[in-house]
Amino acid sequence: MTDVALVAWFELFRAVRTWRAVALLVLYGVASAGAAYLFAEFIGLLENAMADQLGVARTETPGAMMSDLLDSQQLIEVLTAMTGSGDLARQLLDILLPALFFLWLGFLLVPFFAASASAECIATDTRTRAIRFELLRTSRIELVLGRFVGQLLLTALASATSAVVMWGVTMWAMTGVPAGALAGWLAYYALRTWAFAVPFVGVGVATSQLTTSSAWARVMAIGATAGSWVAYGFARWLEDDRAPVVADLLLQLLPQGWIRDMWSPGAGWLASAVACGALGLGALAVGYLRFHRRDL
Amino acid sequence: MSTALALRQVTKRYGRGAKALDGMTFSIPTGAIAGFVGPNGAGKTTTFSVVCGFLSPDEGEVDVLGRGPFVAGEFKGQLGVLPQDAELPDRHTPVELLAHLGRLQGMARTEARREADRLVELVRLGDRRHARIATLSHGMRRRVAVASALCGSPPLVLLDEPLAGLDPAQAYSLRDNLASLRGEQTLVVSSHNLGEIERLCDWIVMVRDGRCLREGPVDEVTGAAAVSRWELGPGELALEPLRRALPDATIEREGSVLVVRSSGRDEGAPDAVAAAVMRCLVEAGVPLRGLSRGVGLERRFLDDE
Repeated sequence: MTDVALVAWFELFRAVRTWRAVALLVLYGVASAGAAYLFAEFIGLLENAMADQLGVARTETPGAMMSDLLDSQQLIEVLTAMTGSGDLARQLLDILLPALFFLWLGFLLVPFFAASASAECIATDTRTRAIRFELLRTSRIELVLGRFVGQLLLTALASATSAVVMWGVTMWAMTGVPAGALAGWLAYYALRTWAFAVPFVGVGVATSQLTTSSAWARVMAIGATAGSWVAYGFARWLEDDRAPVVADLLLQLLPQGWIRDMWSPGAGWLASAVACGALGLGALAVGYLRFHRRDL
Repeated sequence: MSTALALRQVTKRYGRGAKALDGMTFSIPTGAIAGFVGPNGAGKTTTFSVVCGFLSPDEGEVDVLGRGPFVAGEFKGQLGVLPQDAELPDRHTPVELLAHLGRLQGMARTEARREADRLVELVRLGDRRHARIATLSHGMRRRVAVASALCGSPPLVLLDEPLAGLDPAQAYSLRDNLASLRGEQTLVVSSHNLGEIERLCDWIVMVRDGRCLREGPVDEVTGAAAVSRWELGPGELALEPLRRALPDATIEREGSVLVVRSSGRDEGAPDAVAAAVMRCLVEAGVPLRGLSRGVGLERRFLDDE
């Protein structure tokens, strides 16, 4: 395990010194900032629509009518669309709206960031044979696990960056949002988005073990991530009295199948996090089946 | 004499192509500096890769340090390698990389850092120790790679073309460093520069078409123990006294050159020949202008082509 930790730490430093990873981090931060700003504008629109209905004055800064908004049916509908469950949406009304938006955005964006960044971690070094310097000193499984953990750390860094950006933009663009509470919720939800990203890091590291082309590994990883969303939609379609058994099996194997529990306001998300961890290791193992016996 | 590295009937084929190794068999004694020579495509780099476990042999056995085939996790710090065609991880500084590799070999943090500092000084990169490897010249990167192979003073070190890309001063310095390890570590050095190999090594493995053609002490392979050529100055030298002093040797005169061929099997033969010839030259008052032994590694290599 010492070797896994050493390789992981070295991998994290390598990744943050790679312009692609840095560019992805910046891109993810910019996307988070833009999304946070658009979300604040959206809240403003909802509030002003409500003000028009109630015949009261419109608000200049989003957030001024938050307590009224929380009682509205419109918001319940928005949250139902985000979480996929009306019951769950009503349970989430006690939580700060920007935090919920952050979680939703994280579930959408972090998988693509994770898969794309981690797809490079082994393929490039296999092509240049730089991997030999470490492989002479540690086993292949420890090297792969170390790189996997290193990419998990990089993804955690991305989630944390996104949370900080989201907090900053929200505090700037909205009014009436408690700064401390929002920071706490964002930190908590950053952890959840990171947990949800684990299978996609596994997919990225798996594709990186299958080929010596980092570009091809990235295409496969992003394709698999996008494909998992398509498969998730298909499973949801099958779920409605068409083929519930197949749908259930598919949802067990897809990270998105565990997403409803990830929204859970209590500790129920931890079981989903464990399932996502197992899926991540499963994906990693698929790549390792090829990597452990290939000539390097 | 214990064996540091032995290959027995090792075969390796890439895909469905020709065999890169075709029954490669040789052994290298512990403490030797062994030259591993052969033409392009002879299987030198493949052999190193098989020894390190980067490539799996199709057939045959590899024995590293008498412990069987190399397994990375179980041979920590026992084998150092300079791969010929591997790029260094270039996002780090030389000290960071070497300290990391040292830690993977089982060193504590401070010990690894100390070893990294020692190695960058050894390869004369002290002033670039904190520069990113990506910013170093080809020769400097090569020296970092050599340093990685020597990290932790492993008992067996494989160096694939260690002097390639180095300027003459760097090459001289590195050869000097490697020579200083004689007897302490077993070095296997692959190179096309046969002059360098002959000067540095005391053991030779010559390979071609994935097989070992010759192996043994340098003097034996080049015939240095068996043949000596003495270039003489003006003066008369009677050969009879010399033939009486060296009854097992064949002694001939080729113009101004005296050629002495002995059996070469007796380790003391070269010394006995030298003593007898020098005594005769002194007694006859004939000056000695030059001396060469054997046919030279280059000649032997070309003869085998």
